[in-house]
Amino acid sequence: MTTILNKSSIKITMRKLVTALLVLLFLQLSHTASAQERTISGTVVSPDATPVAGASVIIKGATIGTHADVNGNFTIKASPSDVLIVSSVGYTAKEVKVGNSSALSITLEPAKSELQEVVVTALGIKKERKALGYAVSDLSAGELMKNKNTNVVNSLAGKVPGVNITQFSGAAGAGASITIRGGNSTSDGRQNQPLFVIDGIIYDNSTSVTGNTGTDGLSRSNTTYSNRIMDINPEDIATLSVLKGAAAAALYGSRAADGVVIITTKQGKEGKATVNVNSKISTSWANKLPEAQTVFGPGSYATNGVLNTLTYDSWGPKIPADSTLYDNIGRFFQNGIIYDNNVSLSGGTKTGSFYLSGSNFNQTGIIPGTDYNKTTFRFNGEQKYGRLTLNANVAYSVANTDRTLTTSGLYGGGGNGAMGAVYSWPQTFNMKHYINPDGTQYRKFAGTVALEDDINNPYWIINEDDLTSKTNRFTGGVNGNFAVTDWWDITGKIGYDQYTTNDYTYIAPGSAVSPMYQSGRLSKDLLAYTYITTTVMTNFHKTFGDFDTHLMLGSTTENTTTEGQNHWGYNFVTAGTVSFNNIAPENKFFTDGTTRKRLVGAYGEFGISYKDLIYLTATGRNDWSSTLPTSNRSYFYPSLSGSFVFTQLLHNNNFLSFGKIRGSWAQVGKDANPYATLTYVNSPITIASYTGIGNQYISGNPFLKPEIQKSWEIGGEFKFLDGRLGLDYTYYHSQTQNQIAQPRLSNASGYILVSINSGSVINKGMEIALTGRPIAKRDFSWDATLNFSYNVGRLGQFIPGVAYFYPTDAQFGTVKAASIPNGGYFLGMTGVKYLREVDKNGNEIPNGRYQVDAKTGLYKLNTNNPIVGNREPDFIAGFSNTLRYKNLSLSFLLDIRKGGDVYNGTEYSLVINGLSKRTLENNRQSVTVTGVDSQTGEDFTQTYEADKSYVINGTTYSGKNMIQRYWSNYASNSLNFITSVNWLKLRSVSLTYDFSNLLKNQKIIKGLSATVTGTNLATWTNYKGMDPEVSAAGGTGGSGSTGIDYLGVPATASGAFGINLTF
Amino acid sequence: MKNIKYIVAGCILITIVSCKKWLDVNTDPDNPNSTSVLVQNRLPWIQHFYTYTAGVTNFRTSCQAGVLYSITGSANALSTTWTASSGNVTPYQTFFVEVSANINDMYKSAEAKGAYYYMAAADVFSALGFMQMLDLYGEMPYSQTTAISGISLPSPKYDDGKTIYYGCMAKLDEAISLFNKTQDPGAPSFASGDMWNNGDVSKWIKFCYGLKARYMLKLSKKADLFNADSVLYCISQGPQSNADNVFQRGYNNSTVTDYLLGDPVVTNGNWDYAGYGSNQRISQYYYNLLTNMRDSKVTDPRMSKIVPASMTDIKLDASGKVVSYSWNRSVGVDSYGASERLVAGGPASIKAVSYTASDKNITYTITDGTAKAKFIADQQLAGRAFTVDGDNVTVTYKAGSIYVNDNNYLYAGDTSYVNMRTFSIATGGEDPLDVDWYPSADAMKAGAVGSTGSYQIRPVSDQEILTYHEMCFIKAEVYMRKGDLANAYTAYRQGIQAHLDMMQAKLTEWQAEGYTKTNPDMAPMNQSDINAYLSSDAVCQDAGSLTMSDIMLQKYVAMGVSLENYNDMRRFDFSAGDIGSFGTVYPGYDRGPLFAGEALYTGGTPKDPRYWQRRWQLPTTLELNYNSANALAVNAHATEPNVWSMPVWWDCATDDQYYGYLK
Repeated sequence: MTTILNKSSIKITMRKLVTALLVLLFLQLSHTASAQERTISGTVVSPDATPVAGASVIIKGATIGTHADVNGNFTIKASPSDVLIVSSVGYTAKEVKVGNSSALSITLEPAKSELQEVVVTALGIKKERKALGYAVSDLSAGELMKNKNTNVVNSLAGKVPGVNITQFSGAAGAGASITIRGGNSTSDGRQNQPLFVIDGIIYDNSTSVTGNTGTDGLSRSNTTYSNRIMDINPEDIATLSVLKGAAAAALYGSRAADGVVIITTKQGKEGKATVNVNSKISTSWANKLPEAQTVFGPGSYATNGVLNTLTYDSWGPKIPADSTLYDNIGRFFQNGIIYDNNVSLSGGTKTGSFYLSGSNFNQTGIIPGTDYNKTTFRFNGEQKYGRLTLNANVAYSVANTDRTLTTSGLYGGGGNGAMGAVYSWPQTFNMKHYINPDGTQYRKFAGTVALEDDINNPYWIINEDDLTSKTNRFTGGVNGNFAVTDWWDITGKIGYDQYTTNDYTYIAPGSAVSPMYQSGRLSKDLLAYTYITTTVMTNFHKTFGDFDTHLMLGSTTENTTTEGQNHWGYNFVTAGTVSFNNIAPENKFFTDGTTRKRLVGAYGEFGISYKDLIYLTATGRNDWSSTLPTSNRSYFYPSLSGSFVFTQLLHNNNFLSFGKIRGSWAQVGKDANPYATLTYVNSPITIASYTGIGNQYISGNPFLKPEIQKSWEIGGEFKFLDGRLGLDYTYYHSQTQNQIAQPRLSNASGYILVSINSGSVINKGMEIALTGRPIAKRDFSWDATLNFSYNVGRLGQFIPGVAYFYPTDAQFGTVKAASIPNGGYFLGMTGVKYLREVDKNGNEIPNGRYQVDAKTGLYKLNTNNPIVGNREPDFIAGFSNTLRYKNLSLSFLLDIRKGGDVYNGTEYSLVINGLSKRTLENNRQSVTVTGVDSQTGEDFTQTYEADKSYVINGTTYSGKNMIQRYWSNYASNSLNFITSVNWLKLRSVSLTYDFSNLLKNQKIIKGLSATVTGTNLATWTNYKGMDPEVSAAGGTGGSGSTGIDYLGVPATASGAFGINLTF
Repeated sequence: MKNIKYIVAGCILITIVSCKKWLDVNTDPDNPNSTSVLVQNRLPWIQHFYTYTAGVTNFRTSCQAGVLYSITGSANALSTTWTASSGNVTPYQTFFVEVSANINDMYKSAEAKGAYYYMAAADVFSALGFMQMLDLYGEMPYSQTTAISGISLPSPKYDDGKTIYYGCMAKLDEAISLFNKTQDPGAPSFASGDMWNNGDVSKWIKFCYGLKARYMLKLSKKADLFNADSVLYCISQGPQSNADNVFQRGYNNSTVTDYLLGDPVVTNGNWDYAGYGSNQRISQYYYNLLTNMRDSKVTDPRMSKIVPASMTDIKLDASGKVVSYSWNRSVGVDSYGASERLVAGGPASIKAVSYTASDKNITYTITDGTAKAKFIADQQLAGRAFTVDGDNVTVTYKAGSIYVNDNNYLYAGDTSYVNMRTFSIATGGEDPLDVDWYPSADAMKAGAVGSTGSYQIRPVSDQEILTYHEMCFIKAEVYMRKGDLANAYTAYRQGIQAHLDMMQAKLTEWQAEGYTKTNPDMAPMNQSDINAYLSSDAVCQDAGSLTMSDIMLQKYVAMGVSLENYNDMRRFDFSAGDIGSFGTVYPGYDRGPLFAGEALYTGGTPKDPRYWQRRWQLPTTLELNYNSANALAVNAHATEPNVWSMPVWWDCATDDQYYGYLK
């Protein structure tokens, strides 16, 4: 065998190799055949006599082995001379001679400071943690389930340093976005979320907005969207690893730039079949609602002071004491209920195992009529045939969401969403009165305000309109591994991920929309996503003296296709039939969309280590992507990482029991989105007998190059006091260059958005994880983890003269999400603010007095998009604790955030409508404008009193009107609504009692526990609005709209009770 | 095992060979791309969207020129307060994105087929578009734009006004020479893609010369460059009668809207901006020219075709249909005079009207005694029932009334300012032959017309690109400048006659098509009114007394909603009266009492060039935020507010003056 690995082996022919393999195979077979075998049984326990479930038991020198069952029991065929190697993650492996004993009791010592911990790394390769030159965070199923969320992304909040989670909203079925170590791409439509890999197959986590504002009136901010990782049943997850840096993820090449989340699902274990049933019921409620003033009623005052009452604005006179007030906001939301039921069956034999699960998650939302219902099935099976191991995973899920319009959903079509109206409905109007006896919409100003100029009652929207989204998803993979020898194996894999989303949007006749759509409007969107991947991979592993080496080579192909269809139409001819069949042909429209993306990758990894002391790993990958121009489609991604376990050189000491420093460097990247290399044209228009066609406003670029991210990180892991205290530290730096973007640029180019390679994004930050076990008694233990991280994201060099990079079209209130070139915030915000007085050179004086425009009598505004905030937090932290006393355990997770600006667009809207409590200043009797005259620079102070009138630039304004104008002017200043938000959240608390002790005397039930859980029960924050975690239009690509709170569905808190039964 | 070896080797080979092909999937199968579109499909697109960009330019510059009054914030800032800080975006975006991006692609694909007329048309649109950009913004990216260079650059450099001007003139010269060629065999026929002139090349050549005349006239302030005889030569080669007029026909036969801004694609571009919504009204300045030209007190026969009317004194029958009514002809909004109504309510305070199908009472609270007395008198005059209770006056609007639905007495009389809105079937109209605007669905059912609209800005109006009457007025002006009063007078009368003829032809056509069933303002004028007008004091009757103001004001009336009025006014320094010996050419046009634009218009007196609206600032959100380095490289003051009063190149007497501003 050694000859094969000699240098000369490079030259050996295929024939020789095959011969050698055959010889090897023969030797192996003869070894096993010669033994005098009998069946040995044994039990593996830890020093406190608890069984070590799943411990691996193998015969030294052979490939035969087994695993202990949940009670630590195993059986194995062995001869007396054999030596068993018994190991388990977290314990020091132990060698036991079989001898003549037929029943062995083996006690495993907990691994000193968990030195032997194994983690799942790129491509699913398991490695010892100490060998890694980069940071990997992993979470066990238990850790994830402590605050189980049907969206696994949400379960990560506060648990992994460097990971930032943003919930889209508190609506049923709402998604969340995850970014690791900051975003790398600014453009909308460019992902900053990590790759999700489940059982070795890339699993799509898009948040698909199937419609668009033009064809069916929906964009991200208009309703609720799920991120597709929600299709997985969190109960199926066995482990989850977060590969944060580029080096960790480098083997994924062009898909590695944003990190990777690797999920391994549960497998059956050898032994009797086990059935696990768990049921949970929970209730959720709006965490925090906006507060509306109840002092002043509807109305507004004209310039000359005349009260206009034909308005929903609340600038009118004081509400008389005997009026009925309606808590429209508070009454609108309901308590949501979730029924969450799971069942799984698993088991196995020596050569095979299976895991079968089913689940149903049925949630009603806090908005009446909304819900999210998810059903999942999974089958995982494994079968061994000698050296060949076959795995198959199949999962099927159905997820249905009943949702509502949250904000106006019809571009150019008028109308409004439920949330915008809820937060603006005057307190003296009973919002629940929304329908007339004849079924038409009850309108306060019917007959005086045209329907298209009116506002839809939120109850009309939730009861009459119909918006649903249904997704069926099938994923599966077949994986074959052939262990050629004990140092060489070959793996082949085929993976498939397919889903179909059907979105349905119906705007009921009689809605307050453009006249065109007042007889109803319907749209249906179909999105079919298909992903097929094949992988071939081979591993070599060999030890030479003190050197341990491994080599892995592989290749992969990926084929991703999406097919979209949109049908829409308006004006139902016969009332009551909601169908395209009931729409005249000229009012029906149909479009198709297809995207195709293919990728071929070839990769390799070589690693060498010396005496558990030094580890070095190099990887390389070459990708060929279909999305880039032919000449630029091939690109290479290298990485290098190493670790040095310096405690190996020190004398054993009780204080520092383990110490390692690590470092890595990597270059990864991203390819383009499909079709970015050509400029496409619009649909034809017909004018008389002529047909016109012209270019779209997005310019293609035939010279695109791949985006390149270069990054490095250094860090260390330290275990103190025999592992009772652990510290993991990382500092990282990454720079993404040749960013592929579609920025808004000078329209003089002929296009609004131009595909280009431009600009760099720089992220640097730090991650610290402190783990401790302050108390470790037999009956009482306390485990705690504190993690802390910060990231500083900056947009680097960009095209000269470009002042802003707007990732999306969206403007919320007066602010826009923006990245600022040349070292500015990646998660910036531009807006409008009051101008301050200027110095001699015409520059604004920081903190100078405000300029007042004498022509309006109000503060002068800087509307040239000044930068008004940075949405990136100063740091985020999580403090997770588990206290166990006998069979009772209590876990709680605190989520901490310091800094990061949030724009309170909901409050902005309340101010505009006169419902904000802020507008009660001076009982609305006066407002004062004070600063300097913008023309003369002289002092300017003017108080506007409600009952006086003022002549400004030739017009006479009543005081009441001026007070309204003052607040409108106030609302324009973005800074009036921006807070640098700190929070401390009790993210989750759960109390579990394990009844296993009571079940000792029977054989049927193996485990029973009950859990009470609360999530988001308390939030301490300086933010005055709703829960600051909400993001308007969450999940946009690029720098997105996190940190913008605008008329969203409030985030929720919940309480749950669940039982878990195993038999 | 041998087999495995071959299989593996074979697979690798197949992989390498098939890999390239397998990856070639980056062309969208659902959408054609810019290289595959036919030229005969490009041209209608360019023609349509050019009229669309010209429509918004015409609308906004008409607000600046005093033709229109608008309550839209951005347009009101041009028409009334002169505080313009925005409202300068759409012409820029619609030209560059919807027109310019297609010019080079059309030129190249036409060249490949020897389709010279399409190449020529590409040149014409380059000239039309960039000259419009120059007129508005002064300096723009030009030579580095995709349209001119064929290369798409993300941040194209700027050129100064002079370079753009000569570039446009060169494009017209190239177009003329291309139109004089014969297309290669196999080239697509010009008629198949030309909506404007149905492929009539001789008309295109006249069009090019007409544009050259229009552009040469821009140089009238430049002693060294203005050449009257060159202008006259171009006019002699340009349109010779109304038959040579170039226009885009507007239709009302489709509800399809465009991809970018969502406006109907078949309608008139001026309508899309000026007549689409309820925000525009006729200005008193324009109204006065139509009712009292040359202090004649004579009403122009075109007045009722241009000034909209609404129904009033409506009586309904038992089924709620209008049985009798009279027409309420709009008055103009006084922005430059005393502006009493605007001063009282604010510059953009004119209210929209509503319709009531049943009797409607509104109680007005009027504490001011004088105002109350006047209000009551107005009600009596209008014949409305009302009751008075202290400060409260309750007025009954009878069923069928078009009224202002507001309890503020200040706005009650705003029905006299009829808005200029008309319906298309894409925007609320139901009958393609009824373009009247109705204030509500009930009003439409009853037949209660809220506005009859205005000649140039209905969805079915012809959008004038270049007309014979403009040529006549240019000729009159040039002869006037040459001191040839006789020829100037002839051309002046020809211009008025040509415009009346053009209008009458269109009105006759509308009548034949059936529009007049619901809209009397679309019916032809009375010939006797025309004759009376032409012989009245409203029109100069002898060459000897002809003034430049006579010519330019008649041109102003005829051009109406057109950028050329704003261009002409700049050439004559508005009402400063400091051009040659022509005196005040646009008397009465001035800053109004609601003027608030001191920061933009820094000149202190009318004779100071910086007193007036001279150009538009570059759009912040589309250009300055992304290309400021290049903008500032050409004009150091591009981002300063008073760039609004900086003359563009052709508006300066000398290059020194122009470059002095840019420094």
